[in-house]
Amino acid sequence: MSDKNWEPKIVAFVCNWCTYTGADLAGTSRLKYPTNVKLIRVMCSGGIDPVFILKAFERGADGILVSGCHPNDCHYNAGNFHARRRWTFFDELLEYLGVEKGRLQFSWVSASEGKKFVDVVSKVVNDVKEMGPFKSYDELNSEFMTKFPDMPEIDKNMIIKEEEAV
Amino acid sequence: MKIGVFICHCGENIGRTVDCPRVSKACQWLPGVEVSLDYKYMCSDPGQNMIKDEIRKKKLDAIVVGSCSPHMHEKTFRKAAVDAGINPFLVEIANLREHCSWVHDDIDAATDKAIDLVRMAVEKVKRNQPLTTIEVPVTKRTLVIGGGIAGIQAALDVANAGYEVVLVEKEPSIGGHMSQLSETFPTLDCSQCILTPRMVEVYQHPKIKLMTYSEVEKVEGFIGNFTVTIRKKARHIDESKCTGCGLCTTKCPVKKKAFNSFEENLAYRPAVYVPFPQAVPNIPVIDETVCTYYKTGKCQMCVKVCGREAISFDQQDTLVTEEIGAIIVATGYKLYNIEKKPEGSMIKGYGEYGYGKYKDVVDGLQFERIASASGPTSGEFKRPSDGKEPKKIVFIQCVGSRDDSKGFSYCSKICCMYTAKHAMLYKHKVHDGEAYVFYMDIRSGGKMYEEFVRRAIEEDGVKYIRGRVSKITEKNGKYIVKGEDTLASMPIEIDADMVVLATAMIAQTEASELAQTIGIPYDKYGFYNEAHPKLRPIESTTGGVFLAGACQSPKDIPESVAMASAAAAKAMVLFGSDKLEREPVVAKVNELFCAGCFLCKKVCPYGAVEVKEMKDRNGVVYKEIAYVNEGLCQGCGTCTASCPSKSIELAGFNNEEVFAQIAAL
Amino acid sequence: MEELKKLAKELLENKTVAAVIGYQQVDDKRTKPIIVTTPEDASKLVFNEYCLNNLAVYLTKARIKNLAKQNGTTLKLGIVAKPCDIHAIVALIQESQLKREDVYIIGMNCHGVVKDYGMDFSGETLATKCTPCDSHKPLYSDSNLGEVKDTPKVSDEVLEKIQAVEKMSHKERFEYFKKEFDKCIKCYACRAACPLCYCQRCITDKTVPRWVESSPHSRGNFSWNVVRAFHLSGRCIGCGECERACPMDIPLSLLNRRMTETAKQAFAYVSGRSLDTPTLVGSYDVKDSDELFM
Repeated sequence: MSDKNWEPKIVAFVCNWCTYTGADLAGTSRLKYPTNVKLIRVMCSGGIDPVFILKAFERGADGILVSGCHPNDCHYNAGNFHARRRWTFFDELLEYLGVEKGRLQFSWVSASEGKKFVDVVSKVVNDVKEMGPFKSYDELNSEFMTKFPDMPEIDKNMIIKEEEAV
Repeated sequence: MKIGVFICHCGENIGRTVDCPRVSKACQWLPGVEVSLDYKYMCSDPGQNMIKDEIRKKKLDAIVVGSCSPHMHEKTFRKAAVDAGINPFLVEIANLREHCSWVHDDIDAATDKAIDLVRMAVEKVKRNQPLTTIEVPVTKRTLVIGGGIAGIQAALDVANAGYEVVLVEKEPSIGGHMSQLSETFPTLDCSQCILTPRMVEVYQHPKIKLMTYSEVEKVEGFIGNFTVTIRKKARHIDESKCTGCGLCTTKCPVKKKAFNSFEENLAYRPAVYVPFPQAVPNIPVIDETVCTYYKTGKCQMCVKVCGREAISFDQQDTLVTEEIGAIIVATGYKLYNIEKKPEGSMIKGYGEYGYGKYKDVVDGLQFERIASASGPTSGEFKRPSDGKEPKKIVFIQCVGSRDDSKGFSYCSKICCMYTAKHAMLYKHKVHDGEAYVFYMDIRSGGKMYEEFVRRAIEEDGVKYIRGRVSKITEKNGKYIVKGEDTLASMPIEIDADMVVLATAMIAQTEASELAQTIGIPYDKYGFYNEAHPKLRPIESTTGGVFLAGACQSPKDIPESVAMASAAAAKAMVLFGSDKLEREPVVAKVNELFCAGCFLCKKVCPYGAVEVKEMKDRNGVVYKEIAYVNEGLCQGCGTCTASCPSKSIELAGFNNEEVFAQIAAL
Repeated sequence: MEELKKLAKELLENKTVAAVIGYQQVDDKRTKPIIVTTPEDASKLVFNEYCLNNLAVYLTKARIKNLAKQNGTTLKLGIVAKPCDIHAIVALIQESQLKREDVYIIGMNCHGVVKDYGMDFSGETLATKCTPCDSHKPLYSDSNLGEVKDTPKVSDEVLEKIQAVEKMSHKERFEYFKKEFDKCIKCYACRAACPLCYCQRCITDKTVPRWVESSPHSRGNFSWNVVRAFHLSGRCIGCGECERACPMDIPLSLLNRRMTETAKQAFAYVSGRSLDTPTLVGSYDVKDSDELFM
């Protein structure tokens, strides 16, 4: 893929109660943000394992957002506090190992902060666009003769042919 | 595994930016997908029937619905799936509306994203496990925290429905702030007269266990099954013996050591006291901090006069545990005290208004006591400094409210009304007096509210000035109020005899501590958060905990009462069945591999992880491992992310499912 | 030295302990671990600057735990432990792998050990874990033996290396660690030597789903080393056994030490120092820094 029309792949791990609902509100309010972002819903930001991040990078994610409820507003009271400690370590570790800060970002977005969700997501997309594709991590895959099998490409011609047949 | 994919157009809502037919056609080619269809309104009856028919016809094992947020229609589609014979947890929703069509413009890009979202859902549903809902028993008893008007109303409603109630109040008497008010807007009926019958009703109700001078210490358990520990503070009076004759309170030689907080510090009270004459229960409390006996070991005047030997100096705090099914939090508010700047608070204080320094600058509740027939002045308007009748009073609204820079951003909602009431009460008694009100806007939404304010202005001649007061200074017994009339665009100066500040309603001092004890979220001001601002204003986000009154946000009496009744109804809904069904999203330990580090136990916010002993065939314990109490687990999954060996998994959101979603990105 | 032998003999004779885990001399610059179960063998025990191993790792092994079970009762396990090893024991107790009453700690005063066997003990050869060490006397012990001597003063080599790495750009850093991790042959010696890697089944051995790829290629090596370092964040007591065990000389202490510094700076916590404080991982403070979060 040429760098010119390269679009970053962004994954957001979000908690069910605050950020996912905040993203719903962004939709209900018809706010706009780039299509690069795909959300993976978990119950609580406390339930997001750092290995998820590694997995996502392995699978070609260029940037990752982790988001949950604001402190004191956690649906489960304390999940986000545990998450905060966990991410403090993981963030430092990845940065130390040479992963730029902007690749992995964190936020608190409450259910009523649709606008903030849009701002945060747009910031992550912009930051990652500026940094370009995450080549360093992709090079870790270079030893593989076969990369991860891509999910079947949807052949648009095939659909058209089928339509004609009908 | 045969998967059905159903793409909803949601009329134009999804269809406008997502090419739904293209999505459904594309998804046909996904591995495992047996059938992929799109339809105008999937949640409609024909839409649901289509899903059901396809499930039956194609013998589908699982379905993915590309539609609105799972928070909207997940239940609907799960029900349809159940009707057609598949487990409700083999249904996944791809959020094509809120997370795709509504937030994007580019049709091509949005459609590509929609396909990705459906693909992720398909990969997840492949790994989903069929689950069955969990049933837990319900204890049909309610705990009401706070004995103000909201707590009283909630307790009476629940008790009248036939369920037991434990009402906990931290003060010696129930009644709350409403018992302090002189008259109430907009009818000007006497507050005590309408409240005290309710207080007595609570006291005499066979289903209500009243615990005054008590505080909630610990809350364990979960919806339907709470165990609550309540600290009953030592009254130093034996409640079973005291008849409430009040002889001890009149004979107590401590006269001027403690302020009477019921009178908002405008009067003194003895060391042994009943907060106010109509107190319920009418049993005094001995204040250890001022009582002579606790200082010198002498006096015991109360013991001498008590014919019932009810005084018990060595009484200790006791801890009572109660089994509770639902909790109604009605802890109310307090007034923002402008003289003090609490440490670490966002409040900056209003030193320029001289409250606390000038005796005749009082707050709203103090003025209520001055106006009250049972107050320290017996209802005559006398100013605190010299007892003279004030001939000119200035009322200042929005002190601390709607003030980002020095107070709080929110509107305290009731001050416009009670200031009108105050001015009116004053004019009714002091006919030649002058009342000035400095206001920012008059907010008098409510039945008969606007009329009430108009009456104050038009019939009683209260002078309303739109503007803020910059400074109050004292000069020869008068208070010079300097402000601005913004409508006339000119500075204004009034030499008042007395100033009344309508200070902000704020959360109780211990509001956040109590929230942490119960486990409910609160906002930055300390007010408790409702589960949904519009559709679930009564529930907290914690199951089985409901909110009533001003602990949620500033409210007047009718609103508090309405909310209290609603909270009572919510509790009764819970008690409507003997068993409670809950989602089976709970953690489960892999007993083979758990190393027993109990990190999960440490991080669990609900104490749901217990220690389980593993025994060999001879009954010898060979290891201790974690065990999840399904009833307590709320399914946050913090344990699963913490577990170093991944020996604990959250049903419905297990790691395999998440990995599959990541892989499908 | 004699007092150690005498104490161990007594403990074994009067059945206070079922076994003593200690060190045995191999030659004059080399020791090896020994598990002494009879009073006669107690004379084999030694303690000197060549006692490199962190013996706490044996306390979590089922085979050794079973030694303590005799005729239906459970005796204590004795262990000869340096002050730093005791930190590991403390951490194990905090993480429920051990009960304080199940272990008899023979705490040795320590002034440092050598980098590796066969070296003379001097400042030059002081193990890197010993340079920043401030624990020369045991924090917790049932008996405290050994003489107190001064530790040679040398510069903190690991910290200097960390600072050098931090000066590199992100890309250089990534390359540097990628190169180091590429050496990994997935022998898991680091895991076996670590007293705090006590899981019955390591995350890397879990296959459904596959968390960490176990084959030794760049990607699997990277994630293994990240996960290993992360799982020890806020827990590592800095005994350096992982690095010593690594046959490929991957500078694992660069990671462990860096995370230990984070724990110190962000949370003012040092692992394994107190039985009374809650562990860093597994507790939280409402006042923890919120800087990371938008």
